[in-house]
Amino acid sequence: MKSSTMCNSSVVLLKQEFLKKWIKGLHTYSNFNKNMSIMDRRKPAIKLSADVAIASTRKPATRWSRALMADILGTNRILVEQVLGRKQDMRAASGLMKCSKKILRRSSLIARRRVVPRRVTEPSSIARKLVKNRTSVLKSLLPGGEGMDEVSLIQETLDYIVSLRVQVDVMRRLAAGSLEESLCDHHQF
Amino acid sequence: MLNSVRFARNFGEYRVASLSKPSSHFRNLDFRRNCASRLTMEPKAEATQPHFRSGEMGFGLDEIHSLISGPPETGRNSFTALLELPPPQAVQLLVKEDFPAKHLPPPIFPSNIGLIDRASKRSFFASADNPPASNTILLASSSMKVEIVKQEPTDSQPHPNSASPAVSDQSPKSGKRKEREKKVKESNKKSKKVVANEASEDGGKKLPYVHVRARRGQATDSHSLAERARREKINARMKLLQELVPGCNKISGTAMVLDEIINHVQALQRQVEFLSMRLAAVNPRIDFNLDALLAAESGSSIDNDYMGMFTPTIWPEGQINGNRQLEYQQLWQGDELRQPGWSREEDTPNFITPETSHLSYDSSANSAPLHSSQLKMEL
Repeated sequence: MKSSTMCNSSVVLLKQEFLKKWIKGLHTYSNFNKNMSIMDRRKPAIKLSADVAIASTRKPATRWSRALMADILGTNRILVEQVLGRKQDMRAASGLMKCSKKILRRSSLIARRRVVPRRVTEPSSIARKLVKNRTSVLKSLLPGGEGMDEVSLIQETLDYIVSLRVQVDVMRRLAAGSLEESLCDHHQF
Repeated sequence: MLNSVRFARNFGEYRVASLSKPSSHFRNLDFRRNCASRLTMEPKAEATQPHFRSGEMGFGLDEIHSLISGPPETGRNSFTALLELPPPQAVQLLVKEDFPAKHLPPPIFPSNIGLIDRASKRSFFASADNPPASNTILLASSSMKVEIVKQEPTDSQPHPNSASPAVSDQSPKSGKRKEREKKVKESNKKSKKVVANEASEDGGKKLPYVHVRARRGQATDSHSLAERARREKINARMKLLQELVPGCNKISGTAMVLDEIINHVQALQRQVEFLSMRLAAVNPRIDFNLDALLAAESGSSIDNDYMGMFTPTIWPEGQINGNRQLEYQQLWQGDELRQPGWSREEDTPNFITPETSHLSYDSSANSAPLHSSQLKMEL
C-alpha cells in the first residue's frame, strides 16, 4: 500500500500538470464556446486541449507525444501556443515539425513496400502473421506509430497507455465532480 | 584469468541465459507477487474506483514513477535506461573468434555503474545481478569497465548517455564507437574485429561493448545473436506491458497479449472522446479557487477540489438520468454513449463539501505547484 501511494504521488503530480495545462488550453476556447453546438465546437475543443496537455507533459521524451503535438500544431497553432508559452512553442514547433516530417517520410517508405502474397501453412508463420497484423493495428492506434520499429513501439505504447490513463482519470473526476455538485444542489431544492 | 576464460569457453556454456532466462523468471515472480498483493488489497477500490493502475503495479511502475517524478529530461534518461537494463543484459555479444587469448574482458552485464546502482535499488534486477556476479568473478577484472558492442542502433542512445566512468575519459573513442554502433549488420563483423584489435592494442583502455552470449546448443553467428538479443528486448518490454494492462497476466502468446493491449488502448481513447463530449455538454463554469485547492490537502479527496472548483451551469437539454453514478463506475469497462442532460440551471456559490464520492482518492501528495490565483472560466 505504501509503495502504491508512493507511485500515486508521482501520478498525482502528473495529473496536476496535465490539469494545469488543460485549463490553460481551455482558456483559449472560453470565448468562442458560448454557443450551443456541442459536437462541433465544444467537444473537439475540450478534447484537443486535453490532448495537447497530455502530450506536452511527456513531450521531450516520447515519440507519440511529439507526433501528437505536431499534428495539433498543424491545425490549431494558437492552442499550442497558449498551452506551452511563446518561447517554448517556437522551439518546440521546429523540433516537432522535423520529427513529424521524419516520421511521415519513414511511414511512406514503409507503405511503399509491396507484400508478396505467399501461401503459408506452417504454424510459426501463421503466428507471425497474426502478430504482424496486430502490430500494424497498434501502430495505427498510436499517434506517430507508423514509423516505429517493434522495440520502440512497445515502449511508446507503454508510455501512451499511462498517459491516456492519466487523461481519462482527470477528465472523469472533472465530470464526476460537476455531476456531484449538480446532484447535491438538486437535492437541496 | 585467461585460463578461466578459456575454460568457460571450452565448457561451452555461455551465460546470457543467466540474464535472460532466470532473471526474467525472477522478474516475473517479483511482478506477479507485487501485482497480486496489490490487487488483493484493493479489490473493491478496483470495482468502484477506476484506480490508476500504475499505483498498483509492482516493479514496472517504479520505472514510470521515477520517470514521472523527475523532470521530463531526466525522466527520459532513467526511463529508457531502466528499460534498457534487461535487454542490455541479454544483448551482449561475445566477441568470439576474434577473442584472442590476451583479450581482457570482463564482459557482461550491467553495462555501467549507474545502471547497476539503479538496478540494485530495484529488487527487479537484484536477483539478476547475483548469478552473473558469481559468474563474472572468474572473468571480471578489477575495474567495472565493460564493453558494449551494439548490434542494434536503437540501443545506442542510452548507452552513450549513461557512460561508465571508464569510458568517460575516452570521448573521441566513444564517439567513434557510437558511429560504429549505428551501422547495423554489415559492420558487425568489422566492429567486432576492430574491437578485438583495439582491445588488444590498448592495454589499459577499454571500450564498452555489449556481449551477447549464445546459449548452449544455439547458433552463434552474429545474425542470430542479434536477433536473439532483439527478441529478448522485445519480450522484456512485452512483459512490462502485460503487467500494465489489466488481465494480460494470464494470457500467453504474443498475439493475444497484443490483442488485449489494442483493446485497452482503443477503450481508453474512446473514453477520452466520451468524456470530452460529456464535459462539453455539462458546460461547467469553473471557479478556480486555487487557494482552496492548496488548502484542501490533508485527508480530503481531489474530488473535493474539483467540486469546489465547479459551479456547473447546466443547460436545459434533457432529463436527469438517475443511473449516472452507475455509469461512471461502468466507464472503465467500456461504455455506451449516453447523452448527458440535466434539466436545471444552477448557480451555486463556491464551496467545498466533504463528500463521499465513489471516485475519491487520497491526495496526500497534493503539493500543488499551481499558482494561487483565482480564475474564472467558462467552458
